Amino acid sequence: MVASSGKHRWGGAVKQITKSNFSAALQQIKVHIQDADFIAVSSQKTGDLAASSSHRYPWRRILPIDIAETAYLKAKLAAETFELLQFAVCPFRFQGSKVVAFPYNFHLFPRDELNLGMPSYSFSCQTSFLASMAREGFDFNVSIYDGISYLSRAQESIAKERTTPRVYSSSSSPSPSVADSIFIGRIKSRVENWRNACKDPCNMADGSLAKSLRKLILGGEVYGSRPSLSIDVCSDRQVQLALEMVTHISDDLVPLVVPDKSGGAKSVRVVLTSSEEDKNLLMSEIQNLEEEQNLKVRGFREVIDLISSSKKPIIAYNCLHDFTFIHSKFISPLQPSLNEFMCSLRLVFSNIVDVSHLLKEIGPLRKARNLPAALSYLKRQFFVPIDVEIPQLADGNSNNNHGHNVLKLTRVFAKLGILLKIVPDCQTSLGQHTVPIEEYANIFYPISNSLQESEADDVDFHMDNVRKISTDDLVFIWGFREGTSAAELKNHLRQTHSVFSEDIELQLVDKTCAVVVFQKSGSAEALLKEIGSGMTNSTAPSKIISEGLKAAGYEAYKKVCRLGMWEAELADSLDCALSEPSGDLTISSGEDASEIYWSSESMIDLNDL
Amino acid sequence: MRSRWLISAFSRTLTLACSHPVHCRRFSSSATAAAATTAVAVKKVTKSNFEPALEDLRLRVREADFVAIDLEMTGITSAPWRDAFEFDRSDVRYLKVKDSAEKFAVVQFGVCPFRWDGAKGSFIAHPHNFYVFPRKELPVDGPSYEFLCQTTSIDFLAKYQFDFNACIHEGISYLSRAQEAEALQTLSSAYKDEFNNSLYNLEEHVEIPLLRTADLIFTERMKNRFHQWCDELIKSPAKNYRLEENSDSNKMQFQTVFFKMRPAVLLDGFSSHQLKLIRLVLRKHFKDLVYVRSVDENAMWKKIVVYTDSEEDKASLRKEVQEDLLRNTEARVRSAVGFRHVIDLLTSEEKLIVGHNCFLDIAHIYCKFFGPLPSSMVEFALAVHKNFPRIIDTRHLVNSSHVIQYLMKRSSKSLSSIFSLLCPRISSPSLHVASNSYVKVEVQADETGSSCFNSGAKHEAGYDAFMTGCVFAQACSHLGMKFELHSPSIDFSKNDKIQNYMNLLYPSWNSGTVIDLSTGIENPDSSYKRRYPQIVFSNIVLVWGFPSNIKPKDLKECVCKVFGPDSITLIFFVDSTAALIQFSKEDLVNEFLILKDNLESNDDPISVLHPLAKLLEGGNTHAANYETYRDICGSSISKVLFVDQAEAVGIRWKTKVENGSGETQKFASSSEITPGDNSPAVKQVIGKKNDPKRQSHHQVSCEDILDSLHASKLLFEKQVRSTR
Repeated sequence: MVASSGKHRWGGAVKQITKSNFSAALQQIKVHIQDADFIAVSSQKTGDLAASSSHRYPWRRILPIDIAETAYLKAKLAAETFELLQFAVCPFRFQGSKVVAFPYNFHLFPRDELNLGMPSYSFSCQTSFLASMAREGFDFNVSIYDGISYLSRAQESIAKERTTPRVYSSSSSPSPSVADSIFIGRIKSRVENWRNACKDPCNMADGSLAKSLRKLILGGEVYGSRPSLSIDVCSDRQVQLALEMVTHISDDLVPLVVPDKSGGAKSVRVVLTSSEEDKNLLMSEIQNLEEEQNLKVRGFREVIDLISSSKKPIIAYNCLHDFTFIHSKFISPLQPSLNEFMCSLRLVFSNIVDVSHLLKEIGPLRKARNLPAALSYLKRQFFVPIDVEIPQLADGNSNNNHGHNVLKLTRVFAKLGILLKIVPDCQTSLGQHTVPIEEYANIFYPISNSLQESEADDVDFHMDNVRKISTDDLVFIWGFREGTSAAELKNHLRQTHSVFSEDIELQLVDKTCAVVVFQKSGSAEALLKEIGSGMTNSTAPSKIISEGLKAAGYEAYKKVCRLGMWEAELADSLDCALSEPSGDLTISSGEDASEIYWSSESMIDLNDL
Repeated sequence: MRSRWLISAFSRTLTLACSHPVHCRRFSSSATAAAATTAVAVKKVTKSNFEPALEDLRLRVREADFVAIDLEMTGITSAPWRDAFEFDRSDVRYLKVKDSAEKFAVVQFGVCPFRWDGAKGSFIAHPHNFYVFPRKELPVDGPSYEFLCQTTSIDFLAKYQFDFNACIHEGISYLSRAQEAEALQTLSSAYKDEFNNSLYNLEEHVEIPLLRTADLIFTERMKNRFHQWCDELIKSPAKNYRLEENSDSNKMQFQTVFFKMRPAVLLDGFSSHQLKLIRLVLRKHFKDLVYVRSVDENAMWKKIVVYTDSEEDKASLRKEVQEDLLRNTEARVRSAVGFRHVIDLLTSEEKLIVGHNCFLDIAHIYCKFFGPLPSSMVEFALAVHKNFPRIIDTRHLVNSSHVIQYLMKRSSKSLSSIFSLLCPRISSPSLHVASNSYVKVEVQADETGSSCFNSGAKHEAGYDAFMTGCVFAQACSHLGMKFELHSPSIDFSKNDKIQNYMNLLYPSWNSGTVIDLSTGIENPDSSYKRRYPQIVFSNIVLVWGFPSNIKPKDLKECVCKVFGPDSITLIFFVDSTAALIQFSKEDLVNEFLILKDNLESNDDPISVLHPLAKLLEGGNTHAANYETYRDICGSSISKVLFVDQAEAVGIRWKTKVENGSGETQKFASSSEITPGDNSPAVKQVIGKKNDPKRQSHHQVSCEDILDSLHASKLLFEKQVRSTR
C-alpha cells in the first residue's frame, strides 16, 4: 500500500500496460472503472500546438486572440497531425479522508495490425516535444515496439466490412433478369445436390476414397466440423440472389459472405447444420469469433469504450486539447465546428470536467499555468486533508515513472473538489449541501500561449492582466517588412494614419502579421471600412495601401481557421482568405462578435507591488 | 536488443516481389537463415562520442579509395497516392522524391570508408553508424521543428530493433549550410541590436508614457531601490551586498552578483513591461548603471544591471560584452552544425561515393545538409554533381552489368541478398567458398573504447553501408578491375568499365530511366522491363472524387460506352478515389472534359441517362488534365486520400478544360452549392462560363442519345436499387 503525498514516493505506482499484458489489464480496469466515482485521464503526444514554446508556425498555436471556435479548429489541426504515445487512465473514488486510485498507463502505437492502412498512415513529430519527453526519461522503444494499437469507432466499421465473414440479412429484390435466373438455377441445383449428398445416410458407409472423390465432384468443404460449400460471386447482386436462394432451399443452411480485401464479396459460403440446436450453436460460434476479432481490431479503444459506457465523470486538464485527440483517434474524424464537436463528444462522454476550468473558480489559482504549480499553490494556501492511496502496486520496476501526470491530476482534482464542495469531505456533516458535478462539466477552457515568445519568463504575470475585449476591436495588419519589431511597427503605423495615434496595443502574431487592439470601440471598424472602400479624399489610408500594408478584421482570421488555410505564415493565410470571393472580409461583422481575454503586457497588477 | 550475431541473408526466395519500390531494399524479407556467425564491428556514434569519432573519420576518409553511405529515414511516402508509379512523368517523379525528402527525417546515417591495402591484398573498411536527430539547438529556425513518420516505416525500423531512445535522447543534430548562414546572420544581428540597444540607448524613441498609477508606483519604487543599492556599494564596498527586501514579494529581490568583475544585479522575475520601465529609470536617473542582456551557458538570456566606475569603464564593459556575444554565437553555431561536418568532410575530400538505390538518400542529404531542394530535377542533378562529383549507384551497376546479372541469375534485388550472393566469404565465412575471385574485405575497429562498437545487422545504416561497399568492390572485380595494380590508391574514374556507371542513378525503382547527375539528362534504362505501354501525358485525364464503388473495370466500361471501345489505352488508379485515364487520341481529353461539364450543368433526361452519369453520381467528380496532377503533387500538403488532398490544395472548380490556345477554363457546376453555406468553398467560376455551355447544348450528338438509351436500362435498374 502506498499512501503518499510526494511524487518521489510514487515510483512504480502507475501500472504500465503494453501489448503483452493488455488483455489481463483490461479485465482489471473494467472492475475499477465500475467502482470509481471519477476517472482521470491524461496523455502523451508526439507534438502539441497548445503548449510548445518553439513551434515552427507560431500563429497556429492557440493564442490569446483565439475565440473558442478558432481554438477548437487549431486543436483539431493538432489532433489530426500528431499521434498519442501514452494514455494514462486513473479510476478513483473518495473514501473517508482519502482517495483510492488505480492508475494505469497504456503505451500506444498506431501499428497497422490488420494491414488496412489504419489507424494512421503517417503522423508528425515535433522535435522539441520529443526532446523534452526524452529529458523526462520517456522510453520511446517501449511505445513503438510494444505499444497497443487501436482503431476508432469509425475505422472499426470500415475494417469490419473488410475482414469478417458476415451473416447477411436477405431482403426481397426486384424482379430477376434472365442472367439472374440462370445464375439462380445453376447455383440452386448445385447446392441441392450437395445438400442431398451430405444428408444421404448411405454415403456415410463409403470408404475414404469415395468420400474424397465425392468431395472433388461436389466441391464441398468443411467449415469447422460442418460440411460447407463455396459459391463464387462477382457482384453484390449475385450475393443477394445466392442468399435468398439458400434460405429458400432449407432452414438448415446458413449462408456466410466471405469478403475480399477491398471489402467486396468474394464468395458465399453455405454451411450445413444438422439441427436447429446445431444452427444456433454455429451462430454463437460465429459471434464469438467476431468478438475475438473485435478485441484485436479495437485494441486500446476497448478502454475508451469502457470509460464511455460507465458514464462516470471524466477528469482532465486542458480538455479541448485532450478531447480533440480522443475524439479523432478513438471515435471518428473531427467535426468542422466546435458545436458539432461538443454534441458528438457528449454522446460519448456525458460528463467531462476540465480541471483548468475548476482552477478558474478559485481566484488566485488562475495564475497557475500547469498542474505542478496548481498543486504547490493549493498546498501552500489551503489546508485540504486528503491523501491518495494506491492499493495495487505495479510489478516492481519502480524506476519507471511514466504516466504520473494522471496522479497529479487526481490529487489536484481531489483538493479542488473538496474546496468547491463538489465532493463531500469527511469533516462536512451529512446532509450538507454539495454542488453537483454537472455544474462544472463540459466547460472547456482553452489554454493559450502568450504572444511574446521571447519573454517566456514573464508568464507568471500574464494571467492577472487579462481583460475582456471584443473581437470587433481587433485588426490584423500585415505586409510589413519581415523582422520589424512591434515597437517599430507601432511607430510606423502612427505616421500612416491618425487612428493609430489613439491608445492602441500592438503585438506580433508571427514574423509577418501583427494584431492591433483598439481601445475605442468603432475605431477598428472605421479603419477597415476606409481601407475597404479605398477612399481617396483621405490621404491616410492610401498611404497604408501604397506601402503595401494590408488589414483585415477578425472575420478574415476566423475564415482562415474555418477553411483550414494553415499556411506557414499568417500573412499568406490572410491573403488567401481575402482572395476567396465570398463577401468583403475586411469589415468585421458586428453581429457575431465575441470576446477574448487579452493579456495586456503593459499592465501591472497592483498586487505585485 | 539487436541480435548479437550477424545473420547472413539468404533471403533470395523470400524477399518480397518488389511491389513496393524504394522500400524494396528496406523491406526485404526478415526471414533469414542463420548460416554463419561473423560480427562486423560497426562504430556507433552519438552526441557523446561525436567529436572524437569525427576526428577519426577525417583520417579514414582521407585515406579511403571510396566511401559507402546509407540512410535510414522515418518514412518514404507521405500519402499512398504519392508512391512512385511507372506512370509518372519525370517532373512528377521528382516532386514525389522532393516531398519525401522534405517531410521525413533521417534518423541513422551510415558511413563506411574503404581503403585498399596492397600489402594485405584486401580492402580495409571502417563502418560507422551515426544516430541523427534534428534537435533545435539554436533560438533561430533550426533544422526542422517537425517531421513526419510513416507508421509502417517506423514499425519496420522497430522490427529490426532500431533504438529510438538512442536516436531521440542521443542523436546528433545538424544545420544545413543554408541554415548555418542564416543562423550566423540572425544571431549576430540579434546580438548586435541587443548590444546597441542596451549600451547606446538607441531605443530612446520607444518612450513609454507613464500613465498608469501602477507604472508610476513601480518606477518610483525601482528608483529608490537602485539608489539604495548604489549607496550601499559606495558606503561599504567590502561587504556582501544584499539588498534588504520586505518579505511580501520575493520577486522583487535583488540578487547581487559580479559581472565582468563589476558588482551587478541580476534582474529575475520581471515582466517585459517591468523591464522596460526599469530601463527607463536607469536611463533617466543613473549614469553609472548599465543595463546588459547576456547569454549564459544554458543559452538563456540574463538581464543584468552593472555598476561601472567611469565612462572608460563603461566603454570597456561594452567591448567585453560584445566580444563575448560574438564568440558565443560562433561557438554555438559551430556546435549546432553537428553532423553536417561529416557531409562537409565527404564533399571536401571528393571521394567516390557509393550507395545502393541512393537517389532518395542523395535528396535527403541535399535537403538536410545543403539547403532547400531545387524545383526541378535538372537543377537538382547539377547541384548534387557540384558537391559530389562522383557517385555510383550499386543497384544500377548490378542491374545493368551483364556479367553480374549472369551471376545473380534471377535472385532478388534487395541489398542483403545481392551481398550474400556476391560476397559469400564476407557474409558467411564459415561456408568456405573455394574461389580466389572474391575480393577480401577486412573490418577494422580501432583500439579506443570498444564499448561503442556493435555488431552490425541488416537495415542498420552503418552495416548497410558496409554491405553496399563490399558489393561495389566485388562488382568491380567482376568487371575485370585488378585492385593490385592500382597501388597505392585506386582511381575508379580512370577505369573505362567503371566509368560507364559513374553518376548514373535510378530516379525511382520503377521509373525505367536513369539520370546522369553530371548532365541532368534522363534516359531510358535498357535493362528495365516496362509493365505499361508507352505513356503519352497529353492524352491523360485525371478524374477524382467519383463514387467509391467504381472500379477500374466500371470506369473503363463507362467511358468506352461514350467514346468507343478503342478510346482508352490505359486506366490507372492513383488511389481508391482518383484515376488517370489515357485516351488513344489527344482530342478525346478535351471532349471528355467538355462533355462532363455539360452533363453536370444540364439536368435534362439525356444528362441523367447518359452513360457517363454513373461516373458523376454523387456530384463530387472532378476532372482535369495531367498538369493538374503535377500541381497537386507539388503541394506541400499531404492528405491520405487524393480527394481530400485536391480539396486541401484549394481546388474549388469541378472541371478544367484546356483550350487549344492554352487558355484554361474552370467550371464549377451550379448544382454544387450546398445548403446554408456561406463559405466560399463552393463556387468559383473563372473564365467564360456560359458560352461553351450554351454551344454544347446543341453538341449532344445523336450517338450520345443512342448511347444513353442503350445504357438507360442499366442505369434505371441501378436507380431503382438505390432508391429502394
